[in-house]
Amino acid sequence: MAAAVWLAACDNNPTPKPLKEKREDGSKWTVFNWALTADPKSLDPQYSYDQMSRRVMEPVYDKLLEYHPLKTAPYEVVPAMLAEMPKREEGPAGISYLCRFKPGILFHDDECFPGGRGREVVAEDMQFVFQRICDPKVESPFFGPISDAVIGMAEAHKLAKENGGKLDYEKHKVSGLEVVDRYTFRIKLSRPYPQLKYWMAFECLAPVAKEAVMFYDGEIHNGKQRDDFHKFKTVGTGPFRIVEYKPRQRVRLERVPGYKTMVFPNDGGPPEKQEFLARFRGKPLPLVDEVNMSIIVETIPMFILTRQGYLDRMAANKDAFASLLTPERSLAPKYKERGMFLDQDAEPSTFWITFNLDDPIVGKNKKLRQALSCAHDSQTYVEIFFSGVAPVASQILPPGLAGYDPKHVNPYGHNLDKARKLLAEAGYPNGRDASGKQLELTLSAITDGGDHRQRTEFDQRCFEALGIKVKVDEGDFPMLNDKKDKGRFQMASGSGWGADYPDAENYYFLFYSKNIPPAGKNESRYRNPEFDALFEKMAAMEDGPERLEVIQKMNTIIAEDVPVMLMFNKHFYTVVQPWAERTHQNHMLEGGVKYTQIDADLREKARAEWNRKPLWPIAIAALGFAAALGYAIRWNRRHNA
Amino acid sequence: MLNYILRRVLYAVPILIGVLVITFLLFRAFRSADEIASLQLGPKATHEQKQEFIKKNGLDLPKGMQLWNHLKNTAKLEFGESWRLSRSVRDVFYDGVGPSLLVTIPGFAIGLLAALGLALYQVFVRNSAMDHTLTIICVALMSIPTIVYIIASQSLFALTLNYFPATGFEWEGFVGTARFIVLPAAILAIANFGHDGRMFRAVFLEEIAQDYVRTAQAKGVSSGRILSCHVLKNGLIAIITLTVGQLPKLITGSLLIESFFGIPGMGAMLVQSIQQGDEPVVMASVFLGAVLYLFALILTDILYAFADPRIRLS
Repeated sequence: MAAAVWLAACDNNPTPKPLKEKREDGSKWTVFNWALTADPKSLDPQYSYDQMSRRVMEPVYDKLLEYHPLKTAPYEVVPAMLAEMPKREEGPAGISYLCRFKPGILFHDDECFPGGRGREVVAEDMQFVFQRICDPKVESPFFGPISDAVIGMAEAHKLAKENGGKLDYEKHKVSGLEVVDRYTFRIKLSRPYPQLKYWMAFECLAPVAKEAVMFYDGEIHNGKQRDDFHKFKTVGTGPFRIVEYKPRQRVRLERVPGYKTMVFPNDGGPPEKQEFLARFRGKPLPLVDEVNMSIIVETIPMFILTRQGYLDRMAANKDAFASLLTPERSLAPKYKERGMFLDQDAEPSTFWITFNLDDPIVGKNKKLRQALSCAHDSQTYVEIFFSGVAPVASQILPPGLAGYDPKHVNPYGHNLDKARKLLAEAGYPNGRDASGKQLELTLSAITDGGDHRQRTEFDQRCFEALGIKVKVDEGDFPMLNDKKDKGRFQMASGSGWGADYPDAENYYFLFYSKNIPPAGKNESRYRNPEFDALFEKMAAMEDGPERLEVIQKMNTIIAEDVPVMLMFNKHFYTVVQPWAERTHQNHMLEGGVKYTQIDADLREKARAEWNRKPLWPIAIAALGFAAALGYAIRWNRRHNA
Repeated sequence: MLNYILRRVLYAVPILIGVLVITFLLFRAFRSADEIASLQLGPKATHEQKQEFIKKNGLDLPKGMQLWNHLKNTAKLEFGESWRLSRSVRDVFYDGVGPSLLVTIPGFAIGLLAALGLALYQVFVRNSAMDHTLTIICVALMSIPTIVYIIASQSLFALTLNYFPATGFEWEGFVGTARFIVLPAAILAIANFGHDGRMFRAVFLEEIAQDYVRTAQAKGVSSGRILSCHVLKNGLIAIITLTVGQLPKLITGSLLIESFFGIPGMGAMLVQSIQQGDEPVVMASVFLGAVLYLFALILTDILYAFADPRIRLS
């Protein structure tokens, strides 16, 4: 009986109770419930680069610049902690950027500060940030790309290495970072590097307080062990602070009272959303009070929680397609009736098959590469493996990047007749060489887990339609990576690039001859002096029509030389609850949590309706249990009589 | 007995070394240091980053030296730091044991008691229609894969009836936490129930045919007393073998159940660590599993002596 009562009272909501019921002004305290698919690796802005860590850090650490949430074609960076965009200066000493903090930005209150009150962010903090990137102890992955352009970083790193791997923060200053006044600093460059603005929109250049790093050293003080800043202690400047991190369970964030660094943008967004967005224009951020990021690894429970209204949105992967989508790829009626939305999201990324240009067969025969590219039916590929949601890539740059040309057609897209003609011109009519021997190629591929084997079989079938033989060199992800790094492959699938920042340089550097591994990521070993010259020119140019012209030329060269065989851009579906209509879909932001809005009243109503608990099964179970117990007692009496 | 235990502990040492060597070889012998670094750092990692990772984790040392360091550190119970969670393996284990035990102890206990009760009842009504029906149910229960129980229970009790959370875990005291534990524990109990019930039935059937049972019946001892005091007691050796052998699983948790129900226990942790190639955690988990299994074997032998005074440990 007690069990039945307990069961009837049991709550199926796994999310924790909100931190507060009401705001100080008496209005409703609003929580945004989201899911992470893994734990963050570390919450040190100068160290972390993985997606889950960045999702947690983004709301906690404001950045110097930030992607405008409502501008994605092309993406645009705007000032966040800076009062205005960095001012480019050019003089006899070289190029530099003058940056000025908005006055009055505070670090979050924390016991690392005197009196526990967060102090103001000042220009001197940036010296510390650049020093941390140079500190061998921090192991910052950003040291490579940034130190290459900012004066004095390499020297500071070298001095620290010579000092037994310890950077002396008093002595080993980064000479390229000049503190001009309390809020202003200048970054001096050794070469033109317009991409620096994108690093300013990354957590790696987010200010951290020296006091916090020194205080949270992971050591024992007065018998109490302090957290290690390098791992999970955060003292940020953003609209949220972390109040709870339970490994493999959740991360909870609470809004920081008095946050005023940014407001909801007054411009941007698609025309059909203007009315909706008007509600938020100019409003203080964040729009919600608390964020609960549950760490959920499996898709099925995530899907159930979304159906119950306990998650506010969910990226729909292939496992959930059958239940969520109709064959026409719209939201299934049962979800539509609930008022849910199905958003299509575009991640700035392009995927391809890499050719090894050092290979004596595919590397030295452009026509052969062109023929193979024409043989691959990427449209059918995305229909089968991505339910048609991912578009076939027409160029190296994904949509949204400046330089992406929507009118460009891949000259070597799927066309089997053209493929056969090109193959004959390549010296292999019907897939055979002059001696009549069948051409045999090797495709290195990932064949373990998921649908990788089927994808490889598809690629193989496409190429073999030309009459050639394709042998599969099987392996897993690290093995394939190693082969690509060391050039031990002929063709390699599972290749591609997701934009670190939305600039053509971040894609074309993959084909720059000075970036052939181990120096960089030019895995196709592409060497073209004309392309290299254009790359060097383009990388140093500021955005503008002249730069776009150079990018178009590079695009044409790559399309003709086919160092990689283009496949698709990554798109995916997101299921959004009726109360959580998205204000933006900018994938250069890691969630853009501070712009997220929730209609808490609508959610409460929907949850109550969707989670009604029928009591009759409990009554039947209780009766069944009572009957079984009665039978057992009777049986026992009878047999022990 | 102390001599016996000491001897068994000493015998366990080479077995543990063997386990450590095999685990090490599985991870390191077939993968290059570059591949391990690539797996951990992702496809965008630069050559320098990989080299730093390799150096930091001693992957650049000769394999023999790496193995020696691994054995030395394990002997000192130093398992290092998880490559993925940036926390010491000891802390990761410490956090995982509690949630695992909260699921496995009730699941194991309920499954065991139910299986014992059922087996005794089946022995009592042996060869009847009820016995055959229950046997069929047991076979069916043990034939269904755990994943089916998981998905079916999540679909029915979490999604359709809305009784329990589909996933998640929160310590809210024993009663409060029960809502997160009931489904996974029940699945664990049901998954063991069929197999254990069949096994115990076979053991008790053998006992019920013994002379001492007939003697007791002739003396007029009630059926219930014969089953509970005589048959059950004499079947203890088999029960101990089965149950004590399962004790390590209480701590190491259930891989699938914990993963699907979001229980942050040892099982879910091991699954994630294997998927992510988090070597320090996987190697330490295998070592812990081996230690617990060997401990369970020794405990089984000791309990034999208590269950059957004729057995002498020497």
